[in-house]
Amino acid sequence: MIETRLGEFEEVILLLAGILGEDAYAFKIADEFESQTKRSVSIGAVHSSLTRLEEKGFLKSEMGKSTAARGGRRKRIYTLTAYGKKTLAAARDFRQSLWDQYPGFAASSLSFGL
Amino acid sequence: MKERISPPRLAQRFLAYFLRGELAEEVCGDLDEKFYSDLLKKSSLKAKINYWYQVFNYLRPFALRKSMSTNINSYDMLQSYFIIGWRSLTKQRMYSAIKVGGFSLGIASCLLIALFINDELSYDLRYPDGDRIFRVVIAYNYMGESGKDVWMQAPFAKALKDDYPEIEKVGRYNSSELFGAGSKEIRRSDKIENTYEEGFVYFDQGLLDILQLPMVYGNPSKALSDPHTIVITKRKADKYFPNENPVGKSFILNNDEKNPFRIGGVIEDFPATSHLQYDFLMTMTGVEFWNGEQSDWGATNYPTYILLKSGANAKQLEKKMLSVIDKYLLPIWIKDGVPNAKEMSKAGWFELQPVKSIHLRSEGISDPVSHGDIRFVWLFGAVAAFILLIAMINFINLSTAKSANRAKEVGLRKTVGSLRINIINQFLTESLLYSVFSFVVGVLLAWFLLPYFNLLSAKSIQFPWTDWQLFPMLLLAALVVGILAGLYPAFYLSSFNPASVLKGNVSRGSKSSTMRSSLVVFQFTASVVLIIATFVIYRQVEYILNKKVGFDKDQVILIQGTNTLDEKIKTFKNELLQLSQVKSVTISDYLPIRGTKRNGNGFWNEGKDKIDKSIGVQFWRVDYDYIKTMGMKIVEGRNFSENMASDSSGIIINQTMAKKLGLTDPVGKGVQNWRVWNVIGVVEDFHFESLREQIGPLCFVLGNNSNIVSVKVNTASMASVIQSIDGIWKKFSTNQPIRYAFLNESFARMYDDVQRMGRIFISAAGLAIIVACLGLFALSAFMVEQRSKEISIRLVLGASLNTIFNMLTFNFLKLVVISIVVAVPIAWYVMHHWLQNFTYRTEITWDIFVIAGSLSVLIALLTISYQSIRAAFVNPVEKLKTE
Repeated sequence: MIETRLGEFEEVILLLAGILGEDAYAFKIADEFESQTKRSVSIGAVHSSLTRLEEKGFLKSEMGKSTAARGGRRKRIYTLTAYGKKTLAAARDFRQSLWDQYPGFAASSLSFGL
Repeated sequence: MKERISPPRLAQRFLAYFLRGELAEEVCGDLDEKFYSDLLKKSSLKAKINYWYQVFNYLRPFALRKSMSTNINSYDMLQSYFIIGWRSLTKQRMYSAIKVGGFSLGIASCLLIALFINDELSYDLRYPDGDRIFRVVIAYNYMGESGKDVWMQAPFAKALKDDYPEIEKVGRYNSSELFGAGSKEIRRSDKIENTYEEGFVYFDQGLLDILQLPMVYGNPSKALSDPHTIVITKRKADKYFPNENPVGKSFILNNDEKNPFRIGGVIEDFPATSHLQYDFLMTMTGVEFWNGEQSDWGATNYPTYILLKSGANAKQLEKKMLSVIDKYLLPIWIKDGVPNAKEMSKAGWFELQPVKSIHLRSEGISDPVSHGDIRFVWLFGAVAAFILLIAMINFINLSTAKSANRAKEVGLRKTVGSLRINIINQFLTESLLYSVFSFVVGVLLAWFLLPYFNLLSAKSIQFPWTDWQLFPMLLLAALVVGILAGLYPAFYLSSFNPASVLKGNVSRGSKSSTMRSSLVVFQFTASVVLIIATFVIYRQVEYILNKKVGFDKDQVILIQGTNTLDEKIKTFKNELLQLSQVKSVTISDYLPIRGTKRNGNGFWNEGKDKIDKSIGVQFWRVDYDYIKTMGMKIVEGRNFSENMASDSSGIIINQTMAKKLGLTDPVGKGVQNWRVWNVIGVVEDFHFESLREQIGPLCFVLGNNSNIVSVKVNTASMASVIQSIDGIWKKFSTNQPIRYAFLNESFARMYDDVQRMGRIFISAAGLAIIVACLGLFALSAFMVEQRSKEISIRLVLGASLNTIFNMLTFNFLKLVVISIVVAVPIAWYVMHHWLQNFTYRTEITWDIFVIAGSLSVLIALLTISYQSIRAAFVNPVEKLKTE
């Protein structure tokens, strides 16, 4: 049985993968995660998460180009699937609806502190 | 420069070791990229550390090789084993308690005995040059008489030092009461009150150098080098000179104010694990016990120690030392006209005994120190192993017996895919769980019981909590014992065939019943052997303590330390005789109990000293009332008489001496040592040494020695007599409290070791029986449980309580009876050999076996009958209604 709910960490990883586009591979995502959230993370943890998200069908991956800094090794580029995009949007909408019900906050001033 | 820095090789290799092959390319690439981007921002060290960190973070299930991930899986299984093990432990409280209880009892006793053995083995290991220190032992085998002893001549040590360059140092001590070692009345030179102290010995400075006893005060190399110096132990220094440095202060010994002893040094107390146990070391410098004593090759009084130069060979030296006999002894023997001197000189040889083997390996060597016995250590070890074995058998028996209840579990596990190895692991884990648990309880138990054990074994062992080896050793032992005990149940239980088990035709534990029965037989055999051994030891102790020893040891009070009364001692004796309860009084230091004065002399028939070989005779100086007070019997001739002036050269010999000298009608004949004595009487043989030995030749002459006054009383109230005696004592001696003992108690103390062995055996036998009964109890409970339906049906169909009881009990009793049959010959054989140690011994009679046998049957019966009766009284409806 595959878990389809998104955890907070997974949601961020998915978003970052979407943001990075062509550059979405484990090291870059981890690097971006650290610089955007100021939280340290190991590449292994990100990689593990990416694998899980791929198993759930939110991501697909294929081997990309190699660079000199990688000793000529190729990287695995992750791209969001349609299902992944839909799940992300659903998560955002769900949260938005909760914020809408929350008293004392105007919907327009909301930003998700990612 | 940056190009040269690359990720740590070891980390890369480690990563390659565990990482899945298909991930290698991307992961290595990512980590390299991370590393080189780190290098731009941080130091190379930080980058390398981070690389390691990243590698470790790939230790995740998704990234591991397939073959690796089973490891992770087995961790889960281990957890499951523990949970199941814990559940089965808590589910059956009684069985678990018996398993753990029996096991921890076994472990506790094993541990205590291990501590005891460790203590015995740790004697005399502390001397810095211990492996070069030897005690000289002289051995001889002449005309069928053989022996070994440690007494050397006074000049012997110096001769060794002069003649053999491989000897670095020599040293002697002299602990003979005859020369004033042993006990004394002592006081500081600035005090007047005497105190009684024991543990005096004459000691060479050389011996102090050899042993290198640690010194608290004083110069170790000079402490005993001056005449009239004394070295005392720390505890005595603290007693007499609290909080001061006693070096240079003086002691007065035995009121001898003209010759005070100056303290030359204070040594640390001898540790309990030292064969030498003294408190006051008096120097040998300037001491001569008679004129020319120090150069006399005729008297042997000195245990002698040597320190070899490093590299010297002790075995070779032993051979070379033979020339000591030819060079020093033979000329004297020839001069003295000793017959067969040449042959005699060939019959002796020397052995060098390493100092650390003195405590345990001095069997057959006559010496003045108390010993352990290596055989006793082995015996003890065997008993410990037996008890542990019995406890382990309980464990095995109970596990297999309960197997029926777990057969379904095993079947189910196998059906859902357990391999046999998984089931074995399961049961081994459970066994380990029990074992570790039992060890914890056992260690606590041992710690709690240690003070009682110390009382029992006359030791002062501390629990070695601080020893770093203890816990790893215990853990290792727990693992080994746990695996050993769990091996059989594990293999047995895992062998079930799942199909037949789940169908319901479980073996019900019957398949292993032969195995179980034989284990029960083994347990009870061991217990019965121990019971019989205990009986025999007790019989022997009783026999010794009540044997007619040739003198009357009851109602004799020994007043000690009377030498300080000087010439007033005669008046003291007369005043004592005024008391109505006092029958007679004698003044003599020679008593027929160990630890009092002894004096061996060579004797011949008159005029035969140049012809015959001498016989060794105890030569005791006594007074007129000695034989009367000690209740000895004159069988020929008469006692000394105050009216016969010629009795000053009269001698009373014992029957053995008469026989050895070949005198059929001894009265009126002459015997001689250094002078001629006229035999006036023969005293019946009495035991003056331990009953282990034959009675030797002995004689009495009149003489004065005044350390001990023996008082024979006739009273029902010992306390009042002692009070009256104390009243008289106070009139004579104001500065010294009275010190007394009872002859029968001192006599019993000679057999302390035998009694101690008896007590230890009774404890061991008790433990063995308790553990075996615990097992029997659980087994019978199990059997009753298994057959509860059968019993109920029998009851419904009209069986009487009796039939049920007999049916259940008979099976087990059969086993116990078999055990007795097996145990009796073993016990007889072992105890027969033990009794050979004693010259005077009790017989092993059949009634011992009958008593021991019926005792074990009775105990077993009581154990089983609880369960049997309970089963027979149960209401059959209760058990049958579930069907």
